[in-house]
Amino acid sequence: MDLFHKEPILKDCSLWRCSPLKPKTKGVVKADEGEIYDIELDVNILKANEKLAEENKKTLSEYGVTAVDVMGSIGSGKTSLIEKMIEILRDRYRISVFKGDLTTTIDAEMIAKHGVESVPINTGKECHLDANLVSKALRKIDLSKIDVLFIENVGNLICPADFPLGSEKRIIVISVTEGPYMIIKHPFIFMDADVVAINKIDLAQAMEVDINKLKLDVGSINPKAVPVPTNCRTGEGVPEIVKALGL
Amino acid sequence: MTTQIVESILKEADKRQAKRVMEVDLIVGSLTFLNPDQLRFWFGVLAKGTILEKSHLRIKSKEGTVRCLQCGFEGILNCVDDPVYHIPVPTLLCPKCRNVVEIVDGKECTIKSIKMVI
Repeated sequence: MDLFHKEPILKDCSLWRCSPLKPKTKGVVKADEGEIYDIELDVNILKANEKLAEENKKTLSEYGVTAVDVMGSIGSGKTSLIEKMIEILRDRYRISVFKGDLTTTIDAEMIAKHGVESVPINTGKECHLDANLVSKALRKIDLSKIDVLFIENVGNLICPADFPLGSEKRIIVISVTEGPYMIIKHPFIFMDADVVAINKIDLAQAMEVDINKLKLDVGSINPKAVPVPTNCRTGEGVPEIVKALGL
Repeated sequence: MTTQIVESILKEADKRQAKRVMEVDLIVGSLTFLNPDQLRFWFGVLAKGTILEKSHLRIKSKEGTVRCLQCGFEGILNCVDDPVYHIPVPTLLCPKCRNVVEIVDGKECTIKSIKMVI
């Protein structure tokens, strides 16, 4: 036998047809048709808004702007409170207001009469503002030209609690004309509040509502929230609100 | 909210070219404004005509849990009895040291898992 003419051992093996330079993959495992896939998603639907709210907070902080959420029931006096706060603060701060409403710009125009820039945010049929809408509105104003931003939410004591906007402080406005149970009926929104304005105190007697009980209700739900009785038509209590907000 | 949930699931199913979604596991925090019965109703309505139709929706409720930064207490969100109206009112008061607790859980709406047919 010629030593230099070795017969290939694997002559009949199909491996002869493989190119030795190609890596040998084991073949991709695919699901067969009709197979069931069980996937762990762990997707928190509310997280997307929280993330945007954090971004808004960061943007506001970069420009040194203090943003205050103004929330509360329909007709409780949110816009009136903002107007009175503007009267007190305008000499010390440059102020802007975001006004959330379903479709009209009535309130935004009322605020604009004070000579303060007012951006209406129409939510359409949505019952609350969200961080996305606020983010869009932030791009419409020059943040370097303001110090304080009031964000007035749509009148609602339920949904806004689940949608942080990125503000530094939160004030909830309720009024005695809503009756004595308004606070204990909606505890969750008060858990996020820094200040609670109990408005229309001039009507408390007519409504047979005990303002002190309402203050106690705030304290039993959230001891950190500061309850302040107000009359936003005369301005009574508004200086205390401003102080409680740290402005 | 239900629309967002349905859209998220359809997006995920579309990624894997699923033919049908069989089961959906949802966790709803008790501190959200979401009502599981309402969610279930609207889920059924929105799923019609999609690959989610006839899928089995399981909703698990998650209790609100709190933590006290002062004394370290951790537990379920407490309720106090209102002295005037005698109804339970949720409170951020720590049951141990009377300081203010922070909420650590119960504010989410999570799609935990989905089972689909490829």
